[in-house]
Amino acid sequence: MKVNKKKLVSSVVLLLTVLTVLLLLVLPREPKKEPYSIIFISKTIDESDFWTQLIDGTKAAAQEYGVELSIRAPETEDDYEMQNDLIEEAIAQQPDAIVLTPASFTETAPLARKIVDNGIRLLLLDSEIDEKVEECIISTDNIKAGRLQGSYVKEILKPDSRIAVIAHVKNSSTAIEREKGLREGLGEEQEKIVDVVFCDSNYDKAYQLMLGVLQNHPDVDVVVGLNEYSAVGAARAIIDKGLAGKISFVGFDSSLEEIKMLEAGIFQGMVIQNPFKMGYLGVETAVKALNGEKVPEKIDSGSVLITRDNMYLDENQEMLFPFKGE
Amino acid sequence: MKRQKEAGDRRIKLPFSSIRTTMLAVFSVLIVATLTFFYIISLNYTERTILNNSIDYTTRLTGQVTRDIDSYIDYMENISSMVAHSSDVQNYLLDKKSAGDPNLYRRIVTQFSTVLETRTDISNIAVVSGEDKGIINDGNDVLNVNIPLRGVDWYGKVRDSGGTWLTSSHVQNVIKDNYKWVITMSRGIENPDTGETVGVFFIDLNYKALKDLCERNNIGSDYIYIIDPEGKIIYHPKQKLIYSSLKTEMVDEVLECEDGYFLKEEDDGGKLYTISVSEKTGWSIVGVTDMAELMKGRSEAQRLYVIITAVFLVVTVMLCVVFSSAITRPLERLKNSMKEVERGNFEGTQVETEGNNEIAGLGKSFNVMIYKIQQLMEQNIYEQEQKRLSELKALQSQINPHFLYNTLDSIIWMAEGGRNKEVVLMTSSLARLLRQSISNEDELVSIRREVDYARSYLTIQKMRYQDKMEFEIDVEEGIMNQQIIKLVLQPVVENAIYHGIKYKDGKGLIKITGSCRNGCIYLTVYDNGKGMEPEVLEHIFDVKSGEAQKSKSGIGICNVQMRLQLYYGKEYGIFYKSIPEEGTAATIKIPFVEEEAENR
Repeated sequence: MKVNKKKLVSSVVLLLTVLTVLLLLVLPREPKKEPYSIIFISKTIDESDFWTQLIDGTKAAAQEYGVELSIRAPETEDDYEMQNDLIEEAIAQQPDAIVLTPASFTETAPLARKIVDNGIRLLLLDSEIDEKVEECIISTDNIKAGRLQGSYVKEILKPDSRIAVIAHVKNSSTAIEREKGLREGLGEEQEKIVDVVFCDSNYDKAYQLMLGVLQNHPDVDVVVGLNEYSAVGAARAIIDKGLAGKISFVGFDSSLEEIKMLEAGIFQGMVIQNPFKMGYLGVETAVKALNGEKVPEKIDSGSVLITRDNMYLDENQEMLFPFKGE
Repeated sequence: MKRQKEAGDRRIKLPFSSIRTTMLAVFSVLIVATLTFFYIISLNYTERTILNNSIDYTTRLTGQVTRDIDSYIDYMENISSMVAHSSDVQNYLLDKKSAGDPNLYRRIVTQFSTVLETRTDISNIAVVSGEDKGIINDGNDVLNVNIPLRGVDWYGKVRDSGGTWLTSSHVQNVIKDNYKWVITMSRGIENPDTGETVGVFFIDLNYKALKDLCERNNIGSDYIYIIDPEGKIIYHPKQKLIYSSLKTEMVDEVLECEDGYFLKEEDDGGKLYTISVSEKTGWSIVGVTDMAELMKGRSEAQRLYVIITAVFLVVTVMLCVVFSSAITRPLERLKNSMKEVERGNFEGTQVETEGNNEIAGLGKSFNVMIYKIQQLMEQNIYEQEQKRLSELKALQSQINPHFLYNTLDSIIWMAEGGRNKEVVLMTSSLARLLRQSISNEDELVSIRREVDYARSYLTIQKMRYQDKMEFEIDVEEGIMNQQIIKLVLQPVVENAIYHGIKYKDGKGLIKITGSCRNGCIYLTVYDNGKGMEPEVLEHIFDVKSGEAQKSKSGIGICNVQMRLQLYYGKEYGIFYKSIPEEGTAATIKIPFVEEEAENR
């Protein structure tokens, strides 16, 4: 008899428990999450399209994912000491994640390590450092971009063409990779490269170097710029020399000046990166990582070859002329 | 037969041991199923209602936005028509004699500037008629020499055929150093005299007005976007993300959709797309509503339903428990009573019956049945008792005819010998013996009387056997008044004489002792006679077969044993110990009864 009663009570209790569990399952829970705090430390905040777009990208992602984003940057791109100070400050604030575009391959690395040691998630944008401590790096696949350039150059080559390459910073990872890609794209035609010079990301230096190249190799009729400074600086020299149209330019990155030169036919084409996407993916990936999702170690933010013919195609004009909404 | 068997097989067997559990389980399952069903149905209904209401609402909303956009475009067309038909523009384009008039040029520029200043939603306003002729904005902007006008679609479409043209979103590239994302509305300007198109007027619309129109009525995460008939995005609140291919938007689905709305399933509840196509522009205005937000009302309803369901469930289960116990409690009681009866207890097994239902009827019948059985049992016991008593009586009255004869013979013999004294003693002993056996109707006598009886008997026997035996009696005074059933001691003594002393050479001794130990009374009869072999001892209580019994005198030991055990229980009776050629001890064991009960 007693056993039966016990059974009865336990079955009622069981029923109610099941009910409660069901109730908890069925009732919508409203998870209240504190927004993630992410600090983005840029190389610089200047007027250039690249950085503006990149920062816009991070902001857009922050808005999309409801992230508390704070952006810091030194005034100039190469001021790694200032950037290191900013990183120290950021670490002290203990954000959930830091998204960083390292100013120096070697000098930023210790600070990057410190970020990770402090239990803050670290994602890199645009450039690498000499120690792999980051969770993910989002950058343009420069070899791929270089290859795009190379295969396009190959298309416009004439049999007796001579190529000059205006690179940006000697031994910088981007310059090395882009040149490598360029040569891969050119294939056998890379023998036509007669000179590779480095302008240190300076318009004037590029200008001067171009003049030098013209002097040393008067037969050069194709010039490849490996970033915006090199391409535009060199092109300015050509225009000033009155050689516009005689020498074909293939550039890298876009700017209004470059676009105009492309419309004018001075540039045959250029490979553009997608800094907005890079910035956006930076914050987005940080959020994903914080949510516990698995993120790849490397993400290519993409690059596209733009020529005069395709620049106003829908998909390209959207990359060339950043949509500002108004 | 066969059918019956089938029916039996078809019967559902529930794996529960009690009716109550079965009822509870079945009812619970039914209730849970019903409530779940109710819950799902109402939830579904609520969901559908909410969805329909939302579709209605958003359809009206997007319809309104579409009308707003149409009237906005209308308004722009009016502006363009006004400009196109103004004589200043006509004159400027037709190169009439006033064309060189600087005032004419200034008037047009002023008009354009006014429009630009008052309307922030217009990025550019211009009239052009070829690569080299045109007035753009405030007159300071010039055409982009690198872009041939003829190659631009909005120019080409209206330059020769006239009319108006509305582009999708694009970058305006015909103005030097001024690249902006706009929607261009162009209109061919006709020569009123010839009807020939002489130039193109265009207005570049930025997204201010559209954005305003699209966002005016939005709530929460809802938004509206616009695509053109080719599926190109004209306006989207997250246009930039779409352009950067960081986000995708429903385009083909919108263009293919015929119902005016569709649902897109997503992990977080999906989205409702409501489409309104503008006849004027051909654009599709798409309203997107977050189902999760829509279904907030649903989740509130859901919460309510769950609570109601839960309360119902608890209440009904509790009712179920109460009712099932109301039904099964009488059954349970009946079952318990039956168990008791099964064990043989009839006391207090009457079942209380309440009400007038089947179970109460069952209880009443049970009570009657129990009553009858009880009566039968009592009657049976009474009859048994009577039978036993008569048996006892029969046994007791059986005593000693043989003995009587022998004794009388001895008396005669003594009288002939002139042994008067002995005759007196023997006769008086015999008289005592007879009186005791006859006079007392009671079943029980005191031990004292039983001992006296044995003594009288022994006295007679001693006299008969002269020098053959002696006897001693040593019984504690404390037990003398205890009751014992009649005629127990004497047969044992008789047995000791006939089977022990009689066969002994020389003088034998009979000794009777009585004592009380551990709540039992022990009366022991010793003899130093022949003793018994263990086999004989074993069969001492066997009922003698007819012949043998007849030849025996008096009551056999087995009768005494039977009576003792009948009266006192199996653990009492006579216990023998014997050693051959040494003697025998027969102990009568009966319970000791407290004095008080004795002294009534």
